Amino acid sequence: MIRSQKFWIAVCAVIFAVSVIACVIILTRPHGSKVIIKQDGRVVMTLDLDRESDRTVEFVYEGRKNVLEIKNGGVRMLSADCPDHVCVHTGWLRSGIPIVCLPNKLTVEFADSEEDAVAR
Amino acid sequence: MNIKRMTVLALLTSLALIIFVVELQMPPIAPIPGMKIGFANIVTVYAVYKFNARECALLLLSRILLGCLLAGNMISLIYSLSGGALCLAGMLLLHKVIDKKHMWVCSILGAVLHNIGQTVAALALMQTAAVLSYFPFLTAVGCVAGLFTGICAQLVVDRIDLSD
Repeated sequence: MIRSQKFWIAVCAVIFAVSVIACVIILTRPHGSKVIIKQDGRVVMTLDLDRESDRTVEFVYEGRKNVLEIKNGGVRMLSADCPDHVCVHTGWLRSGIPIVCLPNKLTVEFADSEEDAVAR
Repeated sequence: MNIKRMTVLALLTSLALIIFVVELQMPPIAPIPGMKIGFANIVTVYAVYKFNARECALLLLSRILLGCLLAGNMISLIYSLSGGALCLAGMLLLHKVIDKKHMWVCSILGAVLHNIGQTVAALALMQTAAVLSYFPFLTAVGCVAGLFTGICAQLVVDRIDLSD
């Protein structure tokens, strides 16, 4: 094992620097208008925000419900009956940061922000 | 384990739980699942430098189980357990090579390991790579949070001696 304290401090500095750079990349990554909604690992819905009409969609998982709102070419979680409501607080889907509901295993993200980018 | 040590561990567990419950009342830093400072880990970092591996594991396990019960959020139990286990294992190894003057370094690395554990659990449960987008945000905040909890633990480690 490396006993130099400076080495471990350097490791921390590198981790922090890399994380910050990765955050900036994720926040500024360009995205299209296609949105993928996944539940429990399966794609349950795909949207093209440029063409969607304003409406709300419900997703039920083991009796628990998430309500997704599509409005003016944007998408957000309107309500959820989980304890933490993280997905609701995320607000409108804007950048590479997906809307995630951990308890109900639901994710909402731009299509070109992950697998599709690799596929191309 | 004698009665004295067990009582001290119980005392530390309740201290960690009080800190945990107070933190529950604070508004979230950002709408990212699992992102928090984790003030209760001041106790964990302190314990790593004061107690043996078995005692630390007992302390952390009871804190996580009781904490999830108090929070009423059993879904987060899996994330807390996987993150906590990796964090504790890493810190127990690191405290052998990182001295007491650099506890904050150990704490930062522990926090990052906690984030790795959380993200792996999320990947396994959610089965989507979307959760990976959160990882850099978790580690960036984790570094700052780990630094803070580490400095706090470092300040008390020589002042409060409960281990004998």
